[in-house]
Amino acid sequence: MSFLELNGITKSFGPVGVLHGVNLTVGQGEVVGLVGDNGAGKSTLMKIVTGMYTADEGTITLDGASILHNSPGERRNLGIEMIYQDLALARQQDVASNIFLGREPVRKVLGMSFVDRATMKRDAQTMIDRLGARLPAINRPVGSFSGGQQQSVAIARALTFGPKIVIMDEPTAALAVREVQSVLDLIRQLKDEGIGVILISHRLNDVLSVTDRIAVLHQGRVSANLTTSETTMTDVVSAIVGGADMAEAAAHESRG
Amino acid sequence: MPMTDERLWTRVQSFSIDQLHIRIESLIVLILLGALMAFLSPFFLSVSNFMNILLATSTIGVLAIAATFVLSSGGLDLSLGSVLGLSGVVGAAVAVKLNAPMPIAVAATIGAGAAAGLVNGLIITRAFVPAFIVTLGMLGVARGLALVISDGRVIYGLPDAMVYLGQGRPLGIPMPVIIFVVTAVAMHVLLAYTRYGRHTLAIGDSENAARTSGINVDRHRLSLYVLSGALAGLGGLLFATRINSGDPTAGITYELTAITAAIIGGTNLFGGRGSILGTMIGALIMGVLQNGLNLLAVQSYYQQMAIGAVLVFAVFIDQWHVRKESRV
Amino acid sequence: MTISTKMTTVGAAAIAAVLAAGAANAQDEGEYGILMKTLANPFWGAMGEGVEDGAEEAGLDYFIQAVESDQAAENQLNVCNTMLQREPVAMITAAINSTNLLPCLSQAEEAGIAIVDLDGNLDPEILAAENIDITFSIGSDNVQAGAQGAEYMVEQLGSDATGSILVIEGLAGNVTGEQRAQGFADRLGELAPGLEIVASLPGDWDRGKAANITNDILTRNPNLLGIFAANDGMALGAVESVFGANKGGDVVVIGVDGNSDAVQSIQDGRLTASVAQLPYLVGKLAVENVQASIAGEDVPDRITVPTLVLTQEVLEAGEEPMLEFVK
Repeated sequence: MSFLELNGITKSFGPVGVLHGVNLTVGQGEVVGLVGDNGAGKSTLMKIVTGMYTADEGTITLDGASILHNSPGERRNLGIEMIYQDLALARQQDVASNIFLGREPVRKVLGMSFVDRATMKRDAQTMIDRLGARLPAINRPVGSFSGGQQQSVAIARALTFGPKIVIMDEPTAALAVREVQSVLDLIRQLKDEGIGVILISHRLNDVLSVTDRIAVLHQGRVSANLTTSETTMTDVVSAIVGGADMAEAAAHESRG
Repeated sequence: MPMTDERLWTRVQSFSIDQLHIRIESLIVLILLGALMAFLSPFFLSVSNFMNILLATSTIGVLAIAATFVLSSGGLDLSLGSVLGLSGVVGAAVAVKLNAPMPIAVAATIGAGAAAGLVNGLIITRAFVPAFIVTLGMLGVARGLALVISDGRVIYGLPDAMVYLGQGRPLGIPMPVIIFVVTAVAMHVLLAYTRYGRHTLAIGDSENAARTSGINVDRHRLSLYVLSGALAGLGGLLFATRINSGDPTAGITYELTAITAAIIGGTNLFGGRGSILGTMIGALIMGVLQNGLNLLAVQSYYQQMAIGAVLVFAVFIDQWHVRKESRV
Repeated sequence: MTISTKMTTVGAAAIAAVLAAGAANAQDEGEYGILMKTLANPFWGAMGEGVEDGAEEAGLDYFIQAVESDQAAENQLNVCNTMLQREPVAMITAAINSTNLLPCLSQAEEAGIAIVDLDGNLDPEILAAENIDITFSIGSDNVQAGAQGAEYMVEQLGSDATGSILVIEGLAGNVTGEQRAQGFADRLGELAPGLEIVASLPGDWDRGKAANITNDILTRNPNLLGIFAANDGMALGAVESVFGANKGGDVVVIGVDGNSDAVQSIQDGRLTASVAQLPYLVGKLAVENVQASIAGEDVPDRITVPTLVLTQEVLEAGEEPMLEFVK
């Protein structure tokens, strides 16, 4: 049994059916690419994994135990972390506040809990150093950082609490070339540490270079489950597009 | 030389915000304003006048604390003044017409406020009606209810123990001032130093960031409106005990003044930033201004103009900061 | 002593004497503090003028303050407290309601400051319960004012008339409004039992509200004979609705206060009459009497200032002596 298993996930919003019986597995130390056209259902599926949405049907197990009844906060505690495309940072707060949002360390004084700012700052700095990120100042609001710097903070937020599964939603979409490489290196590092990664990306070159498997979503169904080492760009594109005009699309994708 | 000055000033600003949680500019404005008033009027600088300023600020101050919490979370509570009036009337009615003992009457006053806040919060978080509309509706409902319960007239004659809360002067300090200061300190600690406070600011900054961090945003929001209502109830208690009666017309337009004080003190109108100490400075700026102009017998119409100008100026300074700190 | 030193000594003594006399005078008179509700309403404006003129004629120092609306209860209390800082010898106050100034008046009484209840806003029972002994209360008899309104209405309609009458009350719970409405209703019942008050609704001293009430009642009772409003502002609102429904001249509209807007309207033939309260006179008499009281004379606890029914005839004739007090 894989570490994270989704079985038969179905979800509709009113009359609109978005997911129709999706199966997905992620093993420890396995990098799975999740690709598909816009509207295929990728972000809905991930919101179901993190607990933001509830599936109409289907099961989700983590390390053998069902997590269907766990709240998003509980699922984070169990080790499911996500780095969002829009980063989901609190831009007026500083680095440490963002990293520890929702699980701030506390000290008890006279029976009441107060946020332990010193520990927060220290641990945040440690994580930032480990990631090798260069940030202007640890106590400036993150809204004043560049896009790449903000993403470092979002990454730090996902990695600080011993994650077991990390979901990345378009992590390289807005980055410069060198920054893209460092994200891919990070994914490889997570893989080495035994952490499972789900990579959502439309940059198929990146997906092909760093994943072990690729799951293709097409109109709410998994149209293909490919092993990266045995697949080509053409195969992936044709699964995304669903057959029509593959050659043109494949050529387009391989250019960039 | 200018370079070092600017860096030093930036360091002072950062220190002020990080450690003291106030904008240093607000504090400077308050001190300058006080100096100006002392210069213009011989009656300003006296202990009894300072007590008057604090006393006059205490009711609005408590409401401004409520406004700070709600605004920081990206919400809005326009019902503060009406809930203050309703709470005072409920407390007076319980004390005078039901002959209840003082602790029950006090609990009823604050409880009435909390109940109104609960209604606000439930409709906002469950029915997804915008806070502006819901609290605007409560503004009317609470005021009307106050008039109905009191039949439009003041309810006079609270028990002595209760009146002491408004008129007692232990060690020469008016009780409302003591209650106000204690509440302000406690609420400051709550907002600045606890998880509850940090989550409040995060929700206002980015509801998405808060939700994805596992914070139960709806439950937190609900609790904020209950807190806001309870504080409005406390304000109602302070005013009613001061005049020994429940006045159904108490608190009219107070919500706007409370929000003004919070914004002058550095609370972000759209959420994500706020501090109780900052709000206190904002409330005191307004209080000193009004007190000074009263001592100079300046017409209250000019006072209103002055406060309006201070508000715009304060937000200008604030936005100037924000634009400097963020990338466009 | 040389001549110059003698001159200096005499000069110094003279200056000292003048200063002492001046100081004694200043202490004799002291400052009078006057706290109004809001000066936006011409009624209160006229009363403020009366107080100021009275003080100026008597050569007194005074300072006058008001708040932004007649609902700013706490603000008025705060202004009152601040006024006490100047240590006046008298506080002439028009309280917004019967309890909002209590703590301030308590303090004033303890400090030996003379307290005048301007226009009867305070409740004697509450004052007794709070142990506040005010110097006197001055104002018009609001019950009598309402009664005079009824008398004039019956004069116009005839004591055997039958039909509907509308009463527009003041701010809900306000003593002044209640007394005027009650005075009118009681006297009307005595004089013309055939006239029925079909509605008695609170207009909250607001012109717009009164206009709306009048519209609604005219729709229900198109043959309305008369309207009595507890103040001029509301009466003028009612007048607009009456004329707007093309019933100008068919409905007798009577207000209370006799303010300048009302006088103009009466002269123009729109408002039928107003029971003038002579606020200017109230203000002036308040100052005169408190000065007398401070000087040690006996002053009655309750001073009633008469009211005058203003109609087009009265204004045109211009003979009525009390007209000089209508501002």
